[in-house]
Amino acid sequence: MQGFFSVYSPSNFVIVDSYWTETCICGLYGYFVASQLARSAHGVSIVRLQTASCYEEHLAFREEVCHLLQTLLLSLGFGLITASVLAIAAVGITLQFGVTNYLNLAYGDLLTFGVYVAFVANQRFGLSIWLGLLAAILLTSLLAWLINLLVLRPFTDRGTSRVMMLVVTVGVSLILQNVLLALFGEQFQKYAVDTGTPLHLGPFLFTPLQLGILGLAVGTMLAIHLLLRSTRLGKAMRAVSDSPELARISGINTRQIVNVAWLIAGGLAGLSGVVLALNVVTFTPTLGFGFIFVIFAAMVLGGIGSPYGAMLGALVVGIATEVSAIFLPSEYKTAIALVILILVLLLRPQGIFALRRYT
Amino acid sequence: MPPFFFYLLTLATFAVIYGVLVIGLNIHWGYTGILDFMYIAFVAVGGYVTAQLGLPPAQPAFGETYMLGFNWSFFPALLGGGLAAVLLALVVGLLSLHRLRSDYFSIVTVAISLILWTVAGNATPLVNGWDGITGVPQPLADVLNLDPNGYGLFYLGLCSVILILVYLFAQRLYSSPFGRALRSVREDEMVAQGLGKNVFTLRLRAFVIGAFIAGIGGGLLVTYVDAFNPSAWTSPETFFLWAALLLGGSANNRGAMLGALLVPVLFAEATRFLPNFYSPEFVNASRYIVVGILLILVVRFRPQGLIAERKLRVPKSKLLPLVASTASPESTAHLAQPGAVSFLPPEHNSSESKEAHHGE
Repeated sequence: MQGFFSVYSPSNFVIVDSYWTETCICGLYGYFVASQLARSAHGVSIVRLQTASCYEEHLAFREEVCHLLQTLLLSLGFGLITASVLAIAAVGITLQFGVTNYLNLAYGDLLTFGVYVAFVANQRFGLSIWLGLLAAILLTSLLAWLINLLVLRPFTDRGTSRVMMLVVTVGVSLILQNVLLALFGEQFQKYAVDTGTPLHLGPFLFTPLQLGILGLAVGTMLAIHLLLRSTRLGKAMRAVSDSPELARISGINTRQIVNVAWLIAGGLAGLSGVVLALNVVTFTPTLGFGFIFVIFAAMVLGGIGSPYGAMLGALVVGIATEVSAIFLPSEYKTAIALVILILVLLLRPQGIFALRRYT
Repeated sequence: MPPFFFYLLTLATFAVIYGVLVIGLNIHWGYTGILDFMYIAFVAVGGYVTAQLGLPPAQPAFGETYMLGFNWSFFPALLGGGLAAVLLALVVGLLSLHRLRSDYFSIVTVAISLILWTVAGNATPLVNGWDGITGVPQPLADVLNLDPNGYGLFYLGLCSVILILVYLFAQRLYSSPFGRALRSVREDEMVAQGLGKNVFTLRLRAFVIGAFIAGIGGGLLVTYVDAFNPSAWTSPETFFLWAALLLGGSANNRGAMLGALLVPVLFAEATRFLPNFYSPEFVNASRYIVVGILLILVVRFRPQGLIAERKLRVPKSKLLPLVASTASPESTAHLAQPGAVSFLPPEHNSSESKEAHHGE
């Protein structure tokens, strides 16, 4: 309470000097004491005025705190949506990495491909965005399968090291991104879609579209969970991801499993690309390449190759990037995800949530 | 002088400067096998610092803000640019070189490069943000007092001298015991470690040396193009240099220079002067498409590059016995095979040896 309250009374006025935070806590008490003191001196009106301003300060502070909390809750809501997008993408790339065991830098551009498939369906052919989404899933799935078949498999068959595979996927990424750039140009595009009126759900504020994204993500996660746990295919995928040699000895057709993994990863890339574009509203052909490192951050945080870890990692990274926008300019959102990526790789490369290593 | 001469002069200068840059990358990847995807960030740091040391203090009244502005003359400024890149390499290398498997290291380097890029663009007081730095002072321009073409020739000569110095240094480095140690790290770091080499220190030194050359090259580049902003060093630019090195020949400096001539200059710079016939982005995009195809084709069909690294042939008499003579000759016969000890590029390694020590 030191310095909280000092009264200076030379002749007929009183100056009430208080630290504003403490005034907030003890506003009423202060008002009481001040009025007592003021009555004894001769400056009643001034003291009233001063304490009144203190009280206003207190109100302003409370408002500020409320505002901050509100912003925090709102960004948490945004973070949840970003996490949904991220979770779909991260699970896709994790499935692919688990089975093929090399990092794929072209994955972000598969997302962009899906974005532009839906864009063409939506804007050029006038279809609904949900039909566009379906087309994006199918065509991106097909493209991923083709890329593996025509470009990547010749390398893996020759036993190219995973370092050189990374260079090859860089090449694929450059080609995909720039073909889209040549076709659609650098200008920002958007979908023709009705976001609907925002709904208050508890402290959060969601548009129906965002709720749709959330629902899609939850549905996808459940589907992946069922696929991995309850089907022969999922079991085989987990087996290949654990050890390709042992899986092959056990009679699993690993080549087929790799193909299926690319199909699923591509489908998830198309899906997450379109919902990402819906979430950020405007997009260019570099959307996916900027997002790939956010996906990597989620994947690495959850433990590379572990789909369940990737879901948790997506949640953390999604919320962290959105909440960071309160304190930093929003241009640094991606940079926050990159910092998370670097820190996790340096300090805990097996991931925060990994129970055991998959790599 | 005819415009065609000026055009050739421009191409030649770019070729020489890119030659310096690719030799620096060669020390990272070709010599030591460091998968460095942030190389362009070293170039940018060198360029920014060289330019800023040479420029007069920033005048916010004209809407420009940058940190340094010391009015230094060219050569100290160039050296300062190189040292700034060294500083960045030291920080990155000390933090991450000994901890990470090489593919994870490459992801960390791309991430650092992107963070630096974001900061350079958005934090305007550092390097004038997205607008970038312009009006970089031209070395000795006031002393020589030449016309633009004559000055272009002079600058080409200056860059060539630096390229020759860098080339001689890199060749000397390659054949020195230190260079051999670097190549042993590239081939099999477990073996290098087993022979008592400090793998981390060797890698760090190579990383720093390559970054210094990148910084010098960046200084030359920025001084030549006279204007530099973040759009000039997006991360695909790194892969330009990578494509040049892989096409020319990893671990071979003549190959690196050939790649620098072919990829960034003939493919990239030459197309800058072509008309845009489809869309404004078409020419630019097609450059990167060609680079992507090139990367894939080179790794697939000619992983050693156009000019392959010389195989080191050691005569039988100079081979040291690998196992103590007490062992039976039958069991050691296969170990002391005479003939070629090949130093193939790293892509011939089995992937197991690469991942052995990382990420535990």
